[in-house]
Amino acid sequence: MDGSMRKFYGGFTALGLLVGVLVIVAYYRDQHREWMIYQRRYLQEEVRRAATPPQRVLAERTPIQIRQILLPELGRVDRCTTCHLAVEDPSYGGYPQPLAYHPLHDQHPFDRFGCTICHRGQGRATTVAAAHGHVPHWDAPMLPLKYTEASCGQCHQAADNPAAPALARGEQVFEASGCRGCHKLGGVGGVVGPDLDKVGARRSPEWLKAHFLAPATVTPGSGMPPQKFSAPDLEAITLFMLSQTGETVPGFYASMKVIPSAAVGRRLFQQKGCIGCHSLNGQGGKIGPALDDVGLRRSPEWMVAHFRDPQAVSPGTVMPRFGFTEGEARALTDFLLHLRDQQVALSLPSLMGPVERGREVFRTYGCIGCHGPDGKGGVPNPNAKTAEQVPALTYVADGYTKAELAKRILGGQRDITPLDPKRPPPPLYMPAWGGIIKEAEVDDLVAYLFSLKPKGEDLGF
Amino acid sequence: MNAPLPKRLWQWFVRSRVGRSVFRVGLPESNLERSQAMVSSFLLHLQPAKVSRHALKAGTTLGLGLISLYLFLILIGTGLLLMFYYVPSTDRAYDAMKDLQFVVSAGLVVRNMHRWAAHLMVLFVLLHLCRVFFTGAYKRPREFNWLIGTALFLLTLGLSFTGYLLPWDQLAFWAITVGTNIAGYAPVVGPRLKFLLLGGNVVGQEALIRFYALHVIVLPAVAGLLVAIHLWRVRKDGGLSRPDEPADLVEQVEQSRLPTNKTYGLMELARGTTPLVGRNPEDDVFSWPHLVFREVLLFLAVVAVVMFLAVFWNAPLEQVANPVHPPNPAKAPWYFLGLQELVSYSAFWGGVVVPGLLVAVLVLLPYLDRGRAGVGRWFARERVVANTVFALCLAAAIVLTVIGSLFRGPNWSWQVPWQPPPAAGGEP
Repeated sequence: MDGSMRKFYGGFTALGLLVGVLVIVAYYRDQHREWMIYQRRYLQEEVRRAATPPQRVLAERTPIQIRQILLPELGRVDRCTTCHLAVEDPSYGGYPQPLAYHPLHDQHPFDRFGCTICHRGQGRATTVAAAHGHVPHWDAPMLPLKYTEASCGQCHQAADNPAAPALARGEQVFEASGCRGCHKLGGVGGVVGPDLDKVGARRSPEWLKAHFLAPATVTPGSGMPPQKFSAPDLEAITLFMLSQTGETVPGFYASMKVIPSAAVGRRLFQQKGCIGCHSLNGQGGKIGPALDDVGLRRSPEWMVAHFRDPQAVSPGTVMPRFGFTEGEARALTDFLLHLRDQQVALSLPSLMGPVERGREVFRTYGCIGCHGPDGKGGVPNPNAKTAEQVPALTYVADGYTKAELAKRILGGQRDITPLDPKRPPPPLYMPAWGGIIKEAEVDDLVAYLFSLKPKGEDLGF
Repeated sequence: MNAPLPKRLWQWFVRSRVGRSVFRVGLPESNLERSQAMVSSFLLHLQPAKVSRHALKAGTTLGLGLISLYLFLILIGTGLLLMFYYVPSTDRAYDAMKDLQFVVSAGLVVRNMHRWAAHLMVLFVLLHLCRVFFTGAYKRPREFNWLIGTALFLLTLGLSFTGYLLPWDQLAFWAITVGTNIAGYAPVVGPRLKFLLLGGNVVGQEALIRFYALHVIVLPAVAGLLVAIHLWRVRKDGGLSRPDEPADLVEQVEQSRLPTNKTYGLMELARGTTPLVGRNPEDDVFSWPHLVFREVLLFLAVVAVVMFLAVFWNAPLEQVANPVHPPNPAKAPWYFLGLQELVSYSAFWGGVVVPGLLVAVLVLLPYLDRGRAGVGRWFARERVVANTVFALCLAAAIVLTVIGSLFRGPNWSWQVPWQPPPAAGGEP
């Protein structure tokens, strides 16, 4: 081999070494991942705490490895326990993160629920920043702890969950403020503003709060009236909005949704039309027995069994099998046991008069959001000819017949006459409620609106 | 024998019974063995036993073709590894990316290598094409190899483009949506072509499985075959083009049809252009080690560069694909951004006429530009017109691509480069 080739040996050596070093760097990084540090710390702690030699040996022999909870039904893989190893070990109560014990998980065992369904973040990730979701291109960062309650609302009805009082309050604020007048949620509501079904997955708590107080600052050009929430109400409705992720849970998780309570029972009683056969307070059907004092006649166990399968405890009964789950049966039983409380029974919409029902309709569809409490008005609508406000409804009885008013509600009014045609048109308008508000409800609503006119003013004109 | 121990061990092995059965020749010591080594080895026999000094000079080709080949090999290797984890399903593809990053041993670095090698391959294939043009190396008798090279260039773009969709993130989804929309602008066949590519009218599961099959089987197989033919033709067309190429080389290639009124020995059939034809023996050196060593060195350098990029820069991965939430602007892969910029002026002219003409000119070039002057020399004075036209086209493509990449913001309006991306989400 001639000497001129010797110069290549230097090149081979240098480049070979460079490739070798890069391989070593890549390998080293691969074998020294962030999570291993936390796992070693945990195992050291386990060794330190070992009381007996076998425990010590066990701790020493525990391999350093990825731990993960596979949740195929939820489409998730949660590797949080790779670092948070002691979540199920009460003896780690009070330890600093990542080794803290997670209290109160009996109802939601980790092997069925994982972590991210409640806390969000990136379950598949194994670095702190990426797993907690505080990285670019991850849209579901961990919820700050004070907002974790929002996740209850992904599966449970906000109002049903005694463990989530702030969420229930948020729902009340939402309904009472008339948000549905403009926004659809769960398919119910107006079309002036965007749907809120997935708003909780898209928006951060900070954004939501800023938006409620001054919508135009975060959404330029927004016509939404600024909301005057008290501080706790603001937190609560933020929580409720965060709970609206649009995520649906399948199978097992859906069957666990109902937390039995009298309120849930009341809702079921209403939805399933029990009043068609049974009577309360003398009102309702006569096919089945009156239920006012059923709690005195039957035991709770009998009622639960009856709801699940009527034939099993009352052979020959004509009551159909509704396919209630265990939780639903318990909820209905709870409701019937509370019937002796007159208020509970009287609050059923089917037992109300048209005006009371109409008030419920007014509330349910968020009319209050634009027309104000009891239709008294006062909500700003810049550049509207009606004194730059949404008109009050107190005197609709004077301007419309009932049929005209019903037509007006169902048809809406897209174009609001501007005060000054040169300025931008008024942002708020009356959506057409036809197809959203049911026909019977419209009659009730009209009855309610006619009742708004103060008594004794009939002769004032 | 004062050779170092590894060399002595090697020589012992090569001379042993097993070693001889594998290597036949062993580490060559004489010129005869050097020739034998090249001819008897499957991997080396693709190359001549002797090469001209001109071909070995770095300035002749800058190694651009070889670099492209090495990148292709790296892509095949890393791509095979990725296939063990990747699932071409819209439900699982993105999760596979996350698993590669977070739990698979070396998953991230292999994916990074694949990504950077892919970008580099597009770049180097283009540079190789430029080199061949600027040295006039596409002329007779190498016209057909230029065609194969053009096909390989388009295949490289196709490989990169089909691979772009596979991570199934926002970047992938919308780049492919934009890219296939550009294809849809072609008259008559455009919408059908788009439908054929996507298996539907929008990017979805069908598009993913099609792109996957194209990316891992169809295009690599075709490209591999064409690469083999491309290399074989380099030898059969007289080796690398060189300035002192004898005129009779061309005739020899073209007179390869022999009279049929006599019988021939094998040696007579194998006439025509070998790299030695018309060449002064003093100009040639043995391929082993002069060519082989250079090739290995270049390979090491390419691996080093790709690994360096892969170790220190991660391949991008955005949010999971969301068909109802387009980013603004949605951009095609970088090598199509010049095209997207043109399309923003006129879908028909920018999306159909200009790229169609470019491909047509590339294909027809060796048959249109038939003079033999200036072959084998960079920027030959005799080719000043052709070189200037080509350079202007290239400059235009670069300018358009840079504009499309850096200077276009939301709604494809002008923006200062390197703006922070707009906050996620438009209306609430």
